Amino acid sequence: MAERAPDRLVRMLGMIAYLERHGGVPVEELAEQFQVSRRQVVDDIDTLWLTGTPGYWPHDLIDFDAAALEQGVVRVTQSRGMTRPLRLGTREAIALVAALRAMRESLVAGLDPDRLAVLQSVLDKLTAATGEAATIVDVRLAADGEPVVNAAVGAALQAGRRLKIDYVTASDVSGEREVDPLRLVTGERRTYLVAWCWRAGAERLFRMDRVLSAEVLDVPVAEHPRSDHADTFHPDQDAELVTLELESRARWVAETVPVEAVRNRPDGSFEVDLRVVDRTWLRHLLLQIARDVRAVRPSSIAVDVARVARSALNAYGVTGPRATAD
Amino acid sequence: MAEPIPPAERLLNLVIALVNTGSRMSKEQIRSTVAGYGDAASDDAFERMFERDKDALRDLGIPILTVTGRGHGDDIGYRIDQDAYAMPQVDLTAAELGVLSLAAQFWQDRTLRTDATRALTKLRAVGSGPEAEDLVAGLAPRVPAAGAALGPLLDAVHAHQAVTFSYRAASTGEVRTRVLEPWRLLVREGGWYVVGLDRDREAARSFRLSRIEGPVRGVGPTAAFVVPVGIDPAAVLDSRRTETSAIAALAVRPERASALRSRATSRPEGSTQLPPGLVDRDLIHVPYTSITAFVDEVVGYADAVVVLEPDELRDRIVARLQAASALDTTPGRTDSEGVNRHG
Repeated sequence: MAERAPDRLVRMLGMIAYLERHGGVPVEELAEQFQVSRRQVVDDIDTLWLTGTPGYWPHDLIDFDAAALEQGVVRVTQSRGMTRPLRLGTREAIALVAALRAMRESLVAGLDPDRLAVLQSVLDKLTAATGEAATIVDVRLAADGEPVVNAAVGAALQAGRRLKIDYVTASDVSGEREVDPLRLVTGERRTYLVAWCWRAGAERLFRMDRVLSAEVLDVPVAEHPRSDHADTFHPDQDAELVTLELESRARWVAETVPVEAVRNRPDGSFEVDLRVVDRTWLRHLLLQIARDVRAVRPSSIAVDVARVARSALNAYGVTGPRATAD
Repeated sequence: MAEPIPPAERLLNLVIALVNTGSRMSKEQIRSTVAGYGDAASDDAFERMFERDKDALRDLGIPILTVTGRGHGDDIGYRIDQDAYAMPQVDLTAAELGVLSLAAQFWQDRTLRTDATRALTKLRAVGSGPEAEDLVAGLAPRVPAAGAALGPLLDAVHAHQAVTFSYRAASTGEVRTRVLEPWRLLVREGGWYVVGLDRDREAARSFRLSRIEGPVRGVGPTAAFVVPVGIDPAAVLDSRRTETSAIAALAVRPERASALRSRATSRPEGSTQLPPGLVDRDLIHVPYTSITAFVDEVVGYADAVVVLEPDELRDRIVARLQAASALDTTPGRTDSEGVNRHG
């Protein structure tokens, strides 16, 4: 996709301001600084070279040291006064400051004091530069997982060490396994550890609130094939398609579970289609929302959940359905 | 005619011209002298091009000032004041740029992602060198997308302008038009919310962005209200969740529910015993703060976990299980048509 003109303009003005502060900068370093290719840097310089004040005679134009550029070094010789860095817009400031604040609150457990100090310092600098507009957005991320577990995972990620974890699966089976940690994905609802699992021989997603203990091993992480599977859970298309017909009160299901489709009805009830890999997970969901379930397709799932519920009621010493208030 | 000048180059020429102009430039001067505007085929095309460029520059934080000449009312010119767009003195270390780079990836939402990415480009200009990423290695905070409602709401909260939108109430499913003085946007478990004064109800309310249907529109003037002193917008949202603090006594099947066991505390004084029918189980005590969340968690274990105390927790679980036990019996709850379609 072609880059939008405003984004390119911001980068070109940024380059001039950066070069003004740093003198001669190798093309390579400029590319790394602005996270673009070397080719893009050269294109940007070519464009800058053509711009200037009306008249566009040689002395009107932004100018570079051509001899230095031959050697791969960019040096501005005439900047036409464009050396002041651009101020952040209100929304730009909101986006970064709110993100930094939420990171400070949620990542504390995984960060050592040195890293926390850097986070605090950049937050102070940005707040000073942008004012208080950033309080418009307030983000609180999940804080699940035991503090000692979070600290161990954070340390292993930074040092690139293997972890031994005790983990409970969604089917309530616990066991130890060794994993090479790749990323700690913190969402608004849950935190997941993305890791290479040596037992499974594949990349796996571990819910941090189900990691019972974690120990940093004295083994460096190995190289693993990079998976393009995202950091969020996306059931594949071969999984079983299940349709739930739900009362309006259960609307959160459509908002928090990855659903294929939602069909609203005039009376406020609705239908959702889900791809279900793990029937244990679906059973858990249906036990939670049973009061608001109008129908389940295929019906074998409803039969299974009802059987499980009756068996549990038996354990409570209660039998059969009765009128309930709740 | 030479090949047309690309938009980024035209914008850059406009900025340089308006920063360097002695006092101001008229529209005609811009059209005839700034490289790129000569490409406009007609007066209308030029007007549209110039207006679009003015908007684009304002969005980037480079406002074009309109200057009226002395004497003539219609003698309007334009210039850019560098002091109005320059960033205050800031220097960022490579490590700090690394943290900012992580922050820019924080948003899944397109609106905020675009803003954050552009902000990062601006801040790279004041960095000491290429960013150091090892500092934040492996950390990936992610906030879900908010959808189309977010952009207009951000602007309205900042401008203190009321908004109107259609909202689907979760309790009834009914869709109604709301008028809101928006105070703050929040992300909590479950996604994005906006909190503000609901004008029809004359009370503070929270709205979930995912239940807003259709566009959000500003109504009335900006600077139309102030966020009341003494009201914490976050508290308006969080007050819906009743927080308690209690300890549950649970009879757990051997080898099961390790996640609950790991949170167990020592047995309180004078606590319950396992009832006769459940003596083969382990008795554990688990503290919880939100009864709703705890019911959701515990009911999922079905017969592997039986709640002994407190009664309220036990009653709620039993009620859920009774509803679930009727899933296969209530007429109309399952139908053969569905089975045929998807079974």
